[in-house]
Amino acid sequence: MMQRKILVILENKPGALVRIVGLFHQRGYNIESLHVDPVSDIENYKDIEDLLNLKLKENEVSKLLITTTVSDNLLRQILRQINKLIDVLIAKEEI
Amino acid sequence: MKLAGNDMLIQSLVNEGVEYIFGYPGGAALHIYDAIFNQNELQHILVRHEQGATHAADGYARATGKPGVVLVTSGPGATNAITGIATAFMDSIPMVVISGQVASHLIGTDAFQETDMIGISRPIVKHSFTVESAEKIPQIIKEAFYIATSGRPGPVVIDIPKDTTAPDKLFDFNPPESVEIRSYNPPIEPDPKQIERAVIEILKAKKPVIYAGGGAINSNASEELFELNQLLNFPVTNTLMGLGVYPAKDERFMGMLGMHGTYQSNMAMHNADLIIAIGARFDDRITNTPDLFAPNAKIIHFDVDQSSVSKIIEANIAVFGQVKNSLIELIKQLKDKTDLINGDLIKPWLEEINKWTELHGLNHELYKENSDTNMILPQAVIQHVYNITEGKAFVTSDVGQHQMFAAQYYHFDKPRYWINSGGLGTMGFGLPSAMGVKLAYPEEEVVCITGEGSIQMCIQELSTCTQYNLPVKIININNEALGMVKQWQDMNYGGRHSESTYKSSLPNFVELVESYGHVGFKIEKNSELKTTLEKAFSIKDKLVFIDIYVDPGEHVYPMLVAPNGSLKDMWLSKDKKV
Repeated sequence: MMQRKILVILENKPGALVRIVGLFHQRGYNIESLHVDPVSDIENYKDIEDLLNLKLKENEVSKLLITTTVSDNLLRQILRQINKLIDVLIAKEEI
Repeated sequence: MKLAGNDMLIQSLVNEGVEYIFGYPGGAALHIYDAIFNQNELQHILVRHEQGATHAADGYARATGKPGVVLVTSGPGATNAITGIATAFMDSIPMVVISGQVASHLIGTDAFQETDMIGISRPIVKHSFTVESAEKIPQIIKEAFYIATSGRPGPVVIDIPKDTTAPDKLFDFNPPESVEIRSYNPPIEPDPKQIERAVIEILKAKKPVIYAGGGAINSNASEELFELNQLLNFPVTNTLMGLGVYPAKDERFMGMLGMHGTYQSNMAMHNADLIIAIGARFDDRITNTPDLFAPNAKIIHFDVDQSSVSKIIEANIAVFGQVKNSLIELIKQLKDKTDLINGDLIKPWLEEINKWTELHGLNHELYKENSDTNMILPQAVIQHVYNITEGKAFVTSDVGQHQMFAAQYYHFDKPRYWINSGGLGTMGFGLPSAMGVKLAYPEEEVVCITGEGSIQMCIQELSTCTQYNLPVKIININNEALGMVKQWQDMNYGGRHSESTYKSSLPNFVELVESYGHVGFKIEKNSELKTTLEKAFSIKDKLVFIDIYVDPGEHVYPMLVAPNGSLKDMWLSKDKKV
């Protein structure tokens, strides 16, 4: 078990954030910190754009940073479940 | 073309190919109901309780593979639909649920019949939408159907405030032809490299098992699975949700596995050196104690949902993609290597499995010998129904002992003919889901196998069957108790039957169904069983309810020993444990 930072890029629309938070709650994972912002500095997200093969527009998506303490296996499971949510463009561990 | 929100909604559904909407009207949905009245392209089925609407849509979806559509009003209409949405979610059934909502300006004011449907349903839907303005209706409907039916299917809720369906505001109706959601790209084609790795394991396996579940049915992969096993000749087991995806009559089929699976299936899984999981998710009814599960097996896991793989049992090789496409690729690669498929390698394994089958396979005579009464055995009822319908009926079931007896003794040769609530275990599912199947296939025999406990959870739908003339057969396996609860109380609670019997309060089911205009039979003696069932099944134009009093002491076996048991630890009868 160790503290992990998870980065989520999600559509900036109502209801998207609560699905992620709800997922943590339903599965019994604890959120230690959470920070969410609309992405206005697109130039800093070139790697994500490349990864997803799309162009982002200012404030169209949000960036969510969550810290949680979990094992490797559980982290993989959490990331897969977050990635499964329809409004999520990508969820990955931020190292 | 200019249309109001309510007409755009209905027209969008028609464009999606919707034939039936199952629903119940109420204040917030009245604009939509008015639009339904003014058209004749799709038919609305008025149920007697919103739970019935969701299960009926669910049964329709399971039998046809097309999404089921539900329409309910806000507040209690929406909350009554929750159980059925959760049922569909757990079994990955495509469904679109449209719930009326109070007008936008009233949301958050505790208005009459207001409830936060999006919030309440969030954990049990694949996705949900709130309609913020009428213009968005066509796009949202398109996206909802796409999400519900693609990838791993599931229910989608659309909450629609009353003002967005108002008939007096017209909009240009330009429904999208297709839809793309940039944040949603479920895998379709597998990675051929992963299939190559799978082929290597398959070719060297000495004790392989194919374990196929509901995902293989959702992906319509039945033919591919059969073709695959024409090459491999591996033993096959199906989950409760997967029954029918591989023909039960095939020599290699071992029956269901898991909690009430056959002895040979559970033994084969436990002793396997290779498990090929196809659209199955290693549910706790399958694995028993995960740490003790199949200790020597490598796992190849085919699934469309990445989060289902290595969730409970670590997979050695994961193949993500539509199961059908993955099997096509697997067959292709194996066909290039047919000279390397060595049937002799698995011969001793097949012989071992045959021995297990002979030793403790499902055998009705076994139960007869153990029965010290002359009462009807529930297993015999299922066997008679199977014989009379020649194994060709759609069978829906409720939840409990009768469900397990049906799964064990009605042998399914084709997918989508066995319709039951496997994941959520929802009592009340059987009758309404049978209605949905009968509407989809009016010429086919549709049998609901139920118990006197389950049937009373949605018995109001007998009235719906009268209104729409749905001549299904209802087999009520009546043991005058909540049989599965009682079985657990017998086995784990010293026979203390806490709240699992009704103390002579059951209705006269024959008179009850006759009051709805249906036909009822009551069977109490073994000698009447076959002839009365034949008589009942000869009636084609009426709903027939057959109330069959069975031995209340009968238990479902095999039964896995829990907790702390593995798949090889089973009760085979009340006093025989292996």
